[in-house]
Amino acid sequence: MSVHSLSRDQDDASATEAATLSSLYSFLALTMRYPDPAFCTEPFFDAFESLLASLDWPSELAAVRAWREWTPDPLDDLRTAYTGLFITAAPGTTIPPYASIYLDGDGTLYGRTTERTRAFYRERGFDLTDETEPADHIRFELEFLAALAGEARFDDEERFLQTLFRPWFVRFQEKSMQEARHPFYRVSIQLIDFFTKEEQ
Amino acid sequence: MAMNLTRRTFLKAASIAAASVPLSKVTAKAESGVVKTPLVTPGSFKDTQTAVGGVCEMCFWRCQLVGKIRDGRLVKLEGNPKSIDNGVSICARGNAGVKLLYDPDRLKYPLKNVGKRGAPKWQRISWKEALDTCGSKLKAIVDQHGAKGIAMFPHGSTATYPMGFFEKTMGTHNVSEASFFQCRGIRDTAYLATIELAPNENVDMANAKVIFLIGCHFGENIHVSHVKQYLKGLENGAKLVVVDPRYSASAAKSHIWVQIRPGTDTAFLLAIMNYLIQNKKFNVDFVEEYGEGFDKMAEGIKQWTLEKAAQECDVPAAQIKEVAELLAANMPNVSIHPGRHVSWNGNDFQRQRALACLTGLLGAFGVKGGFVQPIGPKGLGKYSWPKGESHDESLREMADLYHYSPPGTPTDLIRDTAITGKPYPIKGCVIWGQNPIQTIPNQEKTIKMLEQMDFVMCVDVMPTDITMYADILLPDCSYLERYDLVKTGTQWDLAEEHRQYIAPRMPLVAPGFERKDSVYITNEIAKRMGYGDKIPIQTQEEGVNKVLAGVQLSIDKIKAEDGIHIQPGKNPYGEMDLTVHFHNEEMEDHGYPGIPTYIPVERPPEGYYRLLYGRSPVHTFNRSQNNAWLMAENSDNPVWVNDKLAARLGLKEGDTVSLVNQDGVTSRTTTTVKVTPGIRQDCVYMYHGFGSMNPELTIGHDKGIDDQSLITKLAVDPETGAHGMRNNFVKFVKVS
Repeated sequence: MSVHSLSRDQDDASATEAATLSSLYSFLALTMRYPDPAFCTEPFFDAFESLLASLDWPSELAAVRAWREWTPDPLDDLRTAYTGLFITAAPGTTIPPYASIYLDGDGTLYGRTTERTRAFYRERGFDLTDETEPADHIRFELEFLAALAGEARFDDEERFLQTLFRPWFVRFQEKSMQEARHPFYRVSIQLIDFFTKEEQ
Repeated sequence: MAMNLTRRTFLKAASIAAASVPLSKVTAKAESGVVKTPLVTPGSFKDTQTAVGGVCEMCFWRCQLVGKIRDGRLVKLEGNPKSIDNGVSICARGNAGVKLLYDPDRLKYPLKNVGKRGAPKWQRISWKEALDTCGSKLKAIVDQHGAKGIAMFPHGSTATYPMGFFEKTMGTHNVSEASFFQCRGIRDTAYLATIELAPNENVDMANAKVIFLIGCHFGENIHVSHVKQYLKGLENGAKLVVVDPRYSASAAKSHIWVQIRPGTDTAFLLAIMNYLIQNKKFNVDFVEEYGEGFDKMAEGIKQWTLEKAAQECDVPAAQIKEVAELLAANMPNVSIHPGRHVSWNGNDFQRQRALACLTGLLGAFGVKGGFVQPIGPKGLGKYSWPKGESHDESLREMADLYHYSPPGTPTDLIRDTAITGKPYPIKGCVIWGQNPIQTIPNQEKTIKMLEQMDFVMCVDVMPTDITMYADILLPDCSYLERYDLVKTGTQWDLAEEHRQYIAPRMPLVAPGFERKDSVYITNEIAKRMGYGDKIPIQTQEEGVNKVLAGVQLSIDKIKAEDGIHIQPGKNPYGEMDLTVHFHNEEMEDHGYPGIPTYIPVERPPEGYYRLLYGRSPVHTFNRSQNNAWLMAENSDNPVWVNDKLAARLGLKEGDTVSLVNQDGVTSRTTTTVKVTPGIRQDCVYMYHGFGSMNPELTIGHDKGIDDQSLITKLAVDPETGAHGMRNNFVKFVKVS
């Protein structure tokens, strides 16, 4: 049974929970955006740590804290790490964060999945602000989930998670756990997994 | 992690207040990329639209395309039905352009190398930072060393505009295009020295009685309208002569296959010409009217008897005679093909001269089946970067060498100058659309040249071997996302109704990610280097419209005409305004042979075999080496080994081998053996453009062997300064 439809349908879900979930998705989307001084600030990292503390994930919290203490310039460090992990890397260890790469057979960008994803957004009354990036980038998918949660549209949220998000995310995550050595991204992807997977 | 907490319990937990407040504070500041829009009903956006104005660049033949677009996504490419050139046909590579466009490994954002050249560690940066860095670094080099302190290695239509800036306005001569110095430049200047015209591939094969090919392997080398001409000629009964050490796709269709010893083609051509002259089987009237220096050539090549050539070329004298007789019997309606990639052995200018002279001897100019120049549209507009004030003497002029060099500077002059710092330092390098690691022989020297630079910038669509050496790497728009050249031409069969076409390259889809076109990039760098007032066009569209305005057209008008403007043409047949310089006095004054002359090349040392390379029918070298569809068809480059030789060496079909060259250089990767009677025993053959060293290519990295890595011994054509790349020899090391 999933967390969304039966145990917490639209009627009895509290507005606070919806808002919290929306904030969580938005926050997770930020972790998957290219690090920018506009949001990659001390409060951002502090919030990241508070979230881990609230979840009682001590080892992840320790890893992130150690990284923050060690790195002289977190923004610069994250930018290089993000580029290597998600954009291009000479060792060939890039993990592209686009659904179509994992679902459309020959590892393409802008595949049928991209089209289906964007159609899903539009059919629920949402769209991208900028068309230069594919709709199935993990960042947009999390932002879409945030928008749905913000409106307490948990059925749509669950459907998106089941049909479009989780099928590729699990493969992305599996590869990430092999390649992502940077604590920030490793933990971010674990957090995304935690907040998007079906509960047993 | 403590997994006893679930998402549900977490959301309900009282502790949430502590976490969610800082979260929402942080997220409130960031704008979402997903926003509320009017509801769209299911099934909308599904109609496929046709976008017109595509001009292919999977190779450089530039077939005209249309794109099938669904919801902003290119789903299929087709030939433009309006095309009178390629028509609805496009090749495998043309079809696979979709996979280039959406290749996940494509360059998406400007990148800064925070690691080392050759072992890069990339960081995505803003365009502003990237352009500021390029502008200031290049300017600092120009301020210290002058414009000549910058070298440029451009390729393709995307590089034309920046090349204009760096070469003409900024003023460096140190520009070397692989398409000239490692490909066709020799052909063009040799024909210019012989018939005062660059030949392109202007032979009327569709209407020829004989098609004569030296090294061309149509069918493996597919330029659609050219192959159509070739096949129509064959369908109409043309006899095909193929001179090639290998049983190529063309050899397989030939009437006469001359399995020549590599490097001896000029001797073969001289013997044919001598035979025709001695037996008075040439076009005497044509030679008298258009020829100059005929007697000198006739006298000078007298030594080239059939027997002498037979021995040199390792082919039967009777076969050389058979070819000569066939040409004589069918002159002037014979296509003596000028070739395209002709930088083979460092004696290539002479071979190209001989081909032009043979065409003259047969009088095969301006006649059906001969050398015919199509008459394309005239009057197109122009724009260009203005010539700058300070232009030093070029390295070529300083060395007083290579008097028949193609435009630009011979590659080795630039590379050697950069490495030695003499006669002056070259400290900045701009690489635009070219992969000099795989185009220029002797990779060690190329890398040395790059290592001593103060600054290296690359602009490309894909990661390549050379992009690993960039300090700043910029993502270019692909040919499907930009405007640039205006392609013109005529109907493919010159004997059909005479028509002309004008087809500007127009984008079929908008550029993705942060890719920018070369006009934008160049202008921004030019501004930062202090040349803002010299910029000739502000946008790529403005450039195309300026060219089209010359013939009262515009982008809008062309779009309304489905991407191609077609107008009545002119009869290309008839007398040509030319002189055939069988003997060229000016060449002799410069110290080169005045008549086509055979210069022997080194033969393979014992136990080694000459390394020949060519094209896969479904690849265009570097350009397609990571293409999912094309690599699914052909993912490596087996080495062709003669069956008898293979038996002697104990090699079997499918064996895995590495190759070692005469200088002891071992291939970094391996390939398999293809055992065949279809190649001579003194040479081996493989496709060029495989085995990229760049691991950023998920599909293409280390697939097959990079033949260029084994081409370490340099041969330079004395007339042109262009490289000959078939004078290296390899032996096998069996791996499994």
